[in-house]
Amino acid sequence: MSEWMILLPILVPAAGAGVVFLLPKQLTAIQQAVAMLTAAAGLAITILLFGRELTFTKNWVGFGIYFDLRLYSFSAMILIVAAFAFLTVLYASVYMKDRGFSRSFYGFVLLATSFVSGAMLANNLVLMLFFWEGLLGILFALVYTGGREASQTAIKALVINGCADLCLILGVCITGWQAATFTMDQISLPLMNYWTTFGFVMMMIGAIGKAGSMPFHSWIPDAATDTNAAFMAFLPAALDKILGIYFLARMTLDLFVVIPGSKMSHTMMIIGCITIIFAVLMALIQKDYRKLLGYHAVSQVGYMILGIGTALTVGIVGGLFHMVNNALYKGCLFFTAGSVEMQTGTTDLKVLGGLGRKMPVTFAGFMVAALSITGVPPFNGFFSKELIFDAALQSNVIYFVIAAAGAFCTAASFLKLGHTVYFGEAPRNLRDTREAPWPILVPIVVLAFACALFGAYNVLPLQYLIEPILGERLHHTYSGLPHSWLLPAISAVILVLAVLNHRYGVKKSGKPVGAVDHIHHARPLRSLYDYAEAGSFDPYKGVSSMLESLAIILMGIDRLIDWVYTGFATGIATLVADGIGRVHIGKHWMYVLWTLAGAVVVIAIVFGIGG
Amino acid sequence: MEELLLLVFLIPIIGSFLLPLVAKFSETLRNVLSLVFVLSAFACSAALVPSAMAGNPASVHFWLPMGFSFGFSADGLAVFMALIASFVGAIIVIYSFTYIEHSDHKNVYYLMVTLFIGAMMGLVYSTNLIFIYIFWEISAISCWQLIGYYREPEHVLRADKAFLMTVFGALVMLAGFVLVYQQTGTFDITEMQGAELGNAAVLLILVGLLSKSATLPLHTWLPDAGVAPSPVTSLLHAAVLVKIGVYAFARFFIFSFNVDPMWHKVVPIVAACSAIVSAGAAMVEYDIKRIIAYSTISQIAFIFLGLSINNKIGVAGGLLYIMMHSLAKGGLFLCAGVVEHSTHTKDIRQLGGLIRTMPVTAVAFLICAFSIMGLPPLGGFFSKYMVVSGAVFADSPWIATVFIFGTLMTIIYLMRVFNAVFLGTSPAKIVDIHEGSRSMVASALSLAVFSLIGGLLIYYPSEFVQTVIAQIGGLLS
Repeated sequence: MSEWMILLPILVPAAGAGVVFLLPKQLTAIQQAVAMLTAAAGLAITILLFGRELTFTKNWVGFGIYFDLRLYSFSAMILIVAAFAFLTVLYASVYMKDRGFSRSFYGFVLLATSFVSGAMLANNLVLMLFFWEGLLGILFALVYTGGREASQTAIKALVINGCADLCLILGVCITGWQAATFTMDQISLPLMNYWTTFGFVMMMIGAIGKAGSMPFHSWIPDAATDTNAAFMAFLPAALDKILGIYFLARMTLDLFVVIPGSKMSHTMMIIGCITIIFAVLMALIQKDYRKLLGYHAVSQVGYMILGIGTALTVGIVGGLFHMVNNALYKGCLFFTAGSVEMQTGTTDLKVLGGLGRKMPVTFAGFMVAALSITGVPPFNGFFSKELIFDAALQSNVIYFVIAAAGAFCTAASFLKLGHTVYFGEAPRNLRDTREAPWPILVPIVVLAFACALFGAYNVLPLQYLIEPILGERLHHTYSGLPHSWLLPAISAVILVLAVLNHRYGVKKSGKPVGAVDHIHHARPLRSLYDYAEAGSFDPYKGVSSMLESLAIILMGIDRLIDWVYTGFATGIATLVADGIGRVHIGKHWMYVLWTLAGAVVVIAIVFGIGG
Repeated sequence: MEELLLLVFLIPIIGSFLLPLVAKFSETLRNVLSLVFVLSAFACSAALVPSAMAGNPASVHFWLPMGFSFGFSADGLAVFMALIASFVGAIIVIYSFTYIEHSDHKNVYYLMVTLFIGAMMGLVYSTNLIFIYIFWEISAISCWQLIGYYREPEHVLRADKAFLMTVFGALVMLAGFVLVYQQTGTFDITEMQGAELGNAAVLLILVGLLSKSATLPLHTWLPDAGVAPSPVTSLLHAAVLVKIGVYAFARFFIFSFNVDPMWHKVVPIVAACSAIVSAGAAMVEYDIKRIIAYSTISQIAFIFLGLSINNKIGVAGGLLYIMMHSLAKGGLFLCAGVVEHSTHTKDIRQLGGLIRTMPVTAVAFLICAFSIMGLPPLGGFFSKYMVVSGAVFADSPWIATVFIFGTLMTIIYLMRVFNAVFLGTSPAKIVDIHEGSRSMVASALSLAVFSLIGGLLIYYPSEFVQTVIAQIGGLLS
């Protein structure tokens, strides 16, 4: 197989995007066909490349910055990226029909596929940055064209992701400096000195920022309401997570030597735990289908960071497996949200209900995905979560407790969501709701099927996709059933508690949508929730206002400097001119005095030098 | 070859004075000739590329007594600068055709613009400090005329300010040249390769460079110069004026003299202050052209950083930065010009929602802004990355961190402008707005497209710059 083949996963979608952009706006059907064909071709190429090892190196910018790609067990993850691109394009063929901007949606989805594949194949840190950061503009465009009122969210997404990406740039520079190379498979730095650690932290911020961890998360819930379900399923739920977590794992496994129990390991685990618990607490109280999922998209990333942060083999396997699983079930969930929205015109939980019988396929897809994210066996989420729980418990029981609390809230919020939307009687205005058309359903069914397959037959993802990545670190396989029964037992108790809580909540509030109102309105939480809902804890707002204050101070400095020229210098000049003007009064005796004074000065100088 | 080296600046300089005469017969011919003169500079420079790249630069030298000389040389650095300046200059001239169509003093405009670009050519190819100074001051005079082009009292005042500040700097620099002469006995740069320069001379010359390239604390004339017609601001920021200082920095302190290693620490710190303070000001201002002007001050600091840290990746980044910034900043000002031309306002509070009425301008603006921010696949990414990386490799990661922070501010202020001007809803006052004229929008868009091409085909400019740096010899660590 020629080395050039490795370029295809990057070039084919990019070329497809180019064609889509060049086609006239009115030819929607042709744009759709081109996008679909390109995405299918991209998928076929990645399937063909799967399991192979290829490298491609060409001179590029110079100074150790090569166009260096490497396909091996880890970068084979581009298969999932290509699969997602195909499903999203298929879904969008119906979903985006009347939304406008369908051309740019297809174009940018294909471009994003190209760039994510490039970032994952890159074997040079700067080349990876090129693709990684290139996603910023695409993200901006996708959010902006994603909804009518999305322009502010688009800017927010750009600034937040830009901030994380800038940290990544700095991290790459420092790591390249410390390692004396940018070639990724030649870097293996122990976190011994100050600058290496700083480089690691900066790169880690870049990675978790891309994945949407706290504090780089706040654009995701906003985007969930302001944009559309197809975008959410594609980028924030799937590709961003895959890329961010892929790189975090690669940093921990290859680029740096992270020792379990070290400071860096704990830092990552703490970030993971904070993300899990705070995001899920916000998800719990949401009354909008998409926004609720948006907060879960943040919360789930916490599990992945927690798993990888342990730096234990079981944790890394769990984290990566969770990343794959999350892409599947979260993508599926967002697709069901889009399906419901398309057929009913709303995602507001207060007006939805009884859709299970009206939309049976969507409902079935939702059930499988919801059971997966909640961690119910035999679906995929159960297995990856158990691996992460195992690693967390080995690191420190507190991490485990927080992760378990997160699982409880996840279960509670999905009980609320599922019960509200799909069970009970449909409200009058939704009585005529029908199932969505097949291009919407196919991605839902495929993803739901994958959730079941990757759970019941977890040998497939673990032994073929994830475990080869760990190479020699792996001593035995983690596929099959959990090795101990203690953790699953605890998980089962958590699920039972969640069900009991749900029943209590529904009974108390009288409606399924109010199932967690008793938690929402509990004393200390209520005011905190009010603040959070008002955006008071949004780091974006806080940092923005701090920067604005700083900018005003800097502007003051600038004006002060300007005053030195326009006020001070001209003032002095005027003063001197005035003074001189005043002594030139036109009187004879004055000029005689001046002459004498000059003579004295000259004599003084002459004698001064002579003496 | 030698003839080309003289023609490259003589055609635009002498030609510029013919333009008012030509206008007596035909205004169109004047406009076209102005473009032809600028393009001839580009063509001559392009023709000088092969010999420059082969390490065998064309040169002309007439020796005069007492170390004076009349010398020009087309080495890699000179050709690189000349190509960028004349290329962006030509696009700006095309843009001017419709932009200043309905204004008075068009003869002065074309004369000064062409002279300006001619002076730039003379400056970059000169190897003699005195000639560099003369071309330097010619550019100051053209700039003074052009900033006050609309002749309103406020504008004239600001033109005076720009003139006084840059000429003050130039005179200080001239004093520095005298010190150099005292030390080396010659004004010819080729004669003083590798000479150790005293700190006093470096400081005096630096004042000149910083004032011309609008760097803190000598920068405040640049935002005020925004009263000029937009193509002129574009010319000042992108093609000629502020690039003179950074070019001269590269010419003197990288390609010619050896300076005290202290300067490799001091200049980056000055640049860092300049980058942050001006970025802060850009976040506060409301006038679109002032914001972009502060952005220039901030970005020039990145160039100074790259050129001053004394390693190859930094210098290469600095040179590429000159190119990428010229393309993108030129584009931004041309877009701002389209907006100003159609809406008659520069206040971003009175603008909004223009993406619906001016989609092409909006996209061109966004692409150029992305390049300035340093987003791939645009060219600005590579130059920014290399400069920051250079700072890290020069054992100054803290300086790099400050500049990364400056980049974050860049993202914020440019998105603020884009948001205020193009997104949201249009205020009632600016209804019935339509896209600018075809040549104006095409000029702006072409700079955006070249920013993109510059990034996608980075191999070529990077290869060019590496050859240029290889010619420096052992002056870089």
